[in-house]
Amino acid sequence: MNRRTAIAGFLPGFLLLALALLLHGCGNNSSARPVATAQPAREPQQSPAPANAPADENLIPVTLQLNWFPEAEHGGYYAALAHGYYREAGLDVKILPGGPDSPVVQQVARGMVDFGVVNADNILFGRAQQAPIVAVMAPLQISPRCILVHESTGIRGLRDLKNVTLAVSSSNAFTQYLRHELKLDNVKIVPYSGNVTHFLLNKNYAQQAYVFSEPFVARKAGGDPRVLMLSEIGFNPYTSTLFTNDEKIRDKPELVEKMVKASIKGWEKYVNSPEKANEAIHAANPQMDLDILAYGARTLEPLVYDQTAEAEGLGTMSRARWQKLADQLIASKQMKADKADVRGAYTTKFLR
Amino acid sequence: MSEAVRAAARAVLPPAVFLILIVVGWQLAIVVWQLPPYLVPSPQDVWASAQEHAADLGWAIPLTGAAALTGFGLSLVCGTLLGLVFSQFKWVQRSIYPYAIFLQTVPIVAVAPLLILWFGYGFQGVVAVSFILSLFPIITAATSGLTQIDPNLVELFAVHNATRLQELLKLRLPNAVPYLVTGAKISCGLAVIGAIVGEIYAGFQGEHIGLGTLITRANAALDTSYVFAGVLGSTLLSIAIFATVSVLGTTILARWHGAAGRDSTTR
Repeated sequence: MNRRTAIAGFLPGFLLLALALLLHGCGNNSSARPVATAQPAREPQQSPAPANAPADENLIPVTLQLNWFPEAEHGGYYAALAHGYYREAGLDVKILPGGPDSPVVQQVARGMVDFGVVNADNILFGRAQQAPIVAVMAPLQISPRCILVHESTGIRGLRDLKNVTLAVSSSNAFTQYLRHELKLDNVKIVPYSGNVTHFLLNKNYAQQAYVFSEPFVARKAGGDPRVLMLSEIGFNPYTSTLFTNDEKIRDKPELVEKMVKASIKGWEKYVNSPEKANEAIHAANPQMDLDILAYGARTLEPLVYDQTAEAEGLGTMSRARWQKLADQLIASKQMKADKADVRGAYTTKFLR
Repeated sequence: MSEAVRAAARAVLPPAVFLILIVVGWQLAIVVWQLPPYLVPSPQDVWASAQEHAADLGWAIPLTGAAALTGFGLSLVCGTLLGLVFSQFKWVQRSIYPYAIFLQTVPIVAVAPLLILWFGYGFQGVVAVSFILSLFPIITAATSGLTQIDPNLVELFAVHNATRLQELLKLRLPNAVPYLVTGAKISCGLAVIGAIVGEIYAGFQGEHIGLGTLITRANAALDTSYVFAGVLGSTLLSIAIFATVSVLGTTILARWHGAAGRDSTTR
């Protein structure tokens, strides 16, 4: 359900699951684990409550399940936690780190957790399989998903992509879309390995990436990555989308509204001064160094505040965008037209 | 003739009835507990999905099967050869066998990406994973079969001044056949698992994809009925390979092993 391939690191923890993995597939978690080792799922650091926050016993406990290990793309949620915005709203939010194959959609659909974070394509896939889930806020208007190529290949855009080995996660929605949309002359598609090693070794190697992570790592290691954004060819699912289930929206709308408002406040804080949130992310996921997180937060800002978000406010979503994504998933044969449920997949009523 | 029909019915009927019970129970569970498709697909959804994706599955099963059979074949050859060396040179066995156990415990998801680095993407990478996973049972079976011999028979051969080669061909190899057949039955299932895991790391480049990639992809889209259809495909593949190995094994046991037995009585 998430964006990354399980391939990369975290292996030791998953060895016993080899068989389960096999039946379960590898998940479409993708993108880089620049450093590949097991990551203990630690509790995120709770910051001390601000003086004006209500006493602990009055807080409503809320769980938020991430789709991946804590990273910059979850920054706003950590900012809301670290700066006490959730507590001010009367919520005792516990952020649960995810990982490869985290069944976030299923957990939220079954009410095992209150809220989850996934990308818009996961929401549509879930709705298509009758999972009663609803997106309530989309912090990243522009998908950070990109393809890295070497500057020396002379490739300037995704439509010029040819004569390379392209490493992408087989299970990602964008992969199917690329295969559907681009000609890919003499492009050998291989599974994504989870880091930039192959990329650094091979001049004709291209790979999937998240714009705030791998380009930084590749450059730091002396590579010459050129970033080709997926959004440039129109594939642009809302990313790190906050979602919950139908039941919660029906029975506890005020709780959902508090969660949405406090999360938006967190994201506004994160793009302006991410330091405290980055420390919380680093504490929850020590693999993420503060310098890469700082780069990540800087890179995220234009993805959060595109023209639409500038005009309508952070977190906004539109019918046209959801419909376009559904059409793309249908056209690339990832979803059947009669199963698409755009209307039920999101609501903007908590954003006002 | 009617006796043969009755025998066939005795063989086929019980598993068929059991299968029907399982499918009915599965369907009932979905209706009674109102399980949504994102958790469990219904049997007819799986069937419909298998039919809808028949073309993809029709490519995936032989692709994965070819890799699994190649890995299994390599395991059979290399495992038996290693067993031969172990049985002939005790010191080799003593120094290397402990490391062969490493194969048994090797965390395949950890080394699979490395195997891909060494062997490359595509078919050969998939075969490498399948091979590593299916090798150990053959080594063990061959080594046991070639070394665990009735001491009286060894003495008998010694009394008759049999050469080492004669002892190997007339005594040790026939003794190893039943072991090898058992080892092969375990190994061939592992070879299929290895091929599917291998595909997750190494496959996915041509127009057609194997079962591993297919299942991963369907799983990502929460398309549980397609996942089940893919798992069903891999099960059918395993059963087909297992059945072939079993039949071949029984034939070999009956012919060669039996003939070897007769040899010793007529001599």
